[in-house]
Amino acid sequence: MKEFETVTVFDLLIRYIKDGRIRLDRTRFEGLATYHDPCNYGRRAQKRFGHGFFEEPRWILDQCLENWVDLHPCRENQICCGGGGGALTSGYNEERIYYGRRKMEQIHASGARMMVVPCHSCHGQFNNIKAKYGLPDLSVKYLWELVADCLVWP
Amino acid sequence: MTPENSLRISIENLERTRCAQWPHAQDNCLTCAMCSGACPVAGVDDFDPRKIVRLISMGMTDAAADSRWPWICTMCGKCEQICPMGIEIPDIIRRLRAMRARDKVPGILQDGLANALRTGNNLGLPKEDFVFILEDVAAEIAEEPGFEEFTVPIDKEGAALLTTIHNKLVNTHTDDLKHWWKIFHAAGEDWTVASDNWEGTSWGYFTGDDEAMRVMAGRIVENMRRLKIKTLLWPE
Repeated sequence: MKEFETVTVFDLLIRYIKDGRIRLDRTRFEGLATYHDPCNYGRRAQKRFGHGFFEEPRWILDQCLENWVDLHPCRENQICCGGGGGALTSGYNEERIYYGRRKMEQIHASGARMMVVPCHSCHGQFNNIKAKYGLPDLSVKYLWELVADCLVWP
Repeated sequence: MTPENSLRISIENLERTRCAQWPHAQDNCLTCAMCSGACPVAGVDDFDPRKIVRLISMGMTDAAADSRWPWICTMCGKCEQICPMGIEIPDIIRRLRAMRARDKVPGILQDGLANALRTGNNLGLPKEDFVFILEDVAAEIAEEPGFEEFTVPIDKEGAALLTTIHNKLVNTHTDDLKHWWKIFHAAGEDWTVASDNWEGTSWGYFTGDDEAMRVMAGRIVENMRRLKIKTLLWPE
């Protein structure tokens, strides 16, 4: 990997913010938000590559929101949303929806009405199952969507 | 494996070479069921990670590969995190997925992957349609205040940053292309997207197909070289 540089979505957003290339307004979202650690960015990256992306997304959230809480458990002990590993495309939908029940219980318990997540599989799963578990109005946002929504621009 | 054979399994007669590369080849499992307790999907379709490990340890690899279990599991890794013997259960699951005949891979996973290998993206979307969609979305952004100058830089040689595209963003979720693009614009980023082999997913990860993953990753590297890009943004 010496031929060119690679950056993760977290690295790039943090770079833009720290270098002053983008400015963010922390007052745009007032309701309580929460964050879900995707298995592959967190626990599995920690195991495979020796670094789980736990702190980076939380730092970015702090730049965008004044009012967010963690789920319990979270970070390396989080519970999978049920949409990973290709589950959204395997056709075993009944199993996938049932799988998501514990994650949805966590979100209920947090009181959050916005879920921020940096993974396409998790994002798809939350939107697919939220109504079934009594949170039809849960706003599911990509981490970079939250950043774009908070941009001070022009 | 026939049911008749399965009754005759004994520890002495295990076929060990097949599992030699698997860390549980010597039957490390203590049957403690910590994995079962940690697994968010244990109990669904009678799935239980411990059962998978026991099947493998007893040499019943085919039975495990033929079952639905490797596809009910999301390889989330709670089981291996808690396993006191360090058995890498998600890795076992992925290898079991690889043992399935490709026409028996469930859902649309294999179709999407075959499309990707054949055309460069999971949808089999022709290049001109892809470019049309990107430019259409860019024109929508340019209607917003502060983004009047916005255009999408396709195949820009020497750009600082290359991005890939998740296929759903040029299919059913085109509005979700806009978030990163707006950030790039505000940050003054010199970015680009390739018109060929732009796919940001790699479904060989899900189907257990290492060779397909190599091909998909290699194409991104080719784009980096062809366009002389400095930095690659890992697919989301």
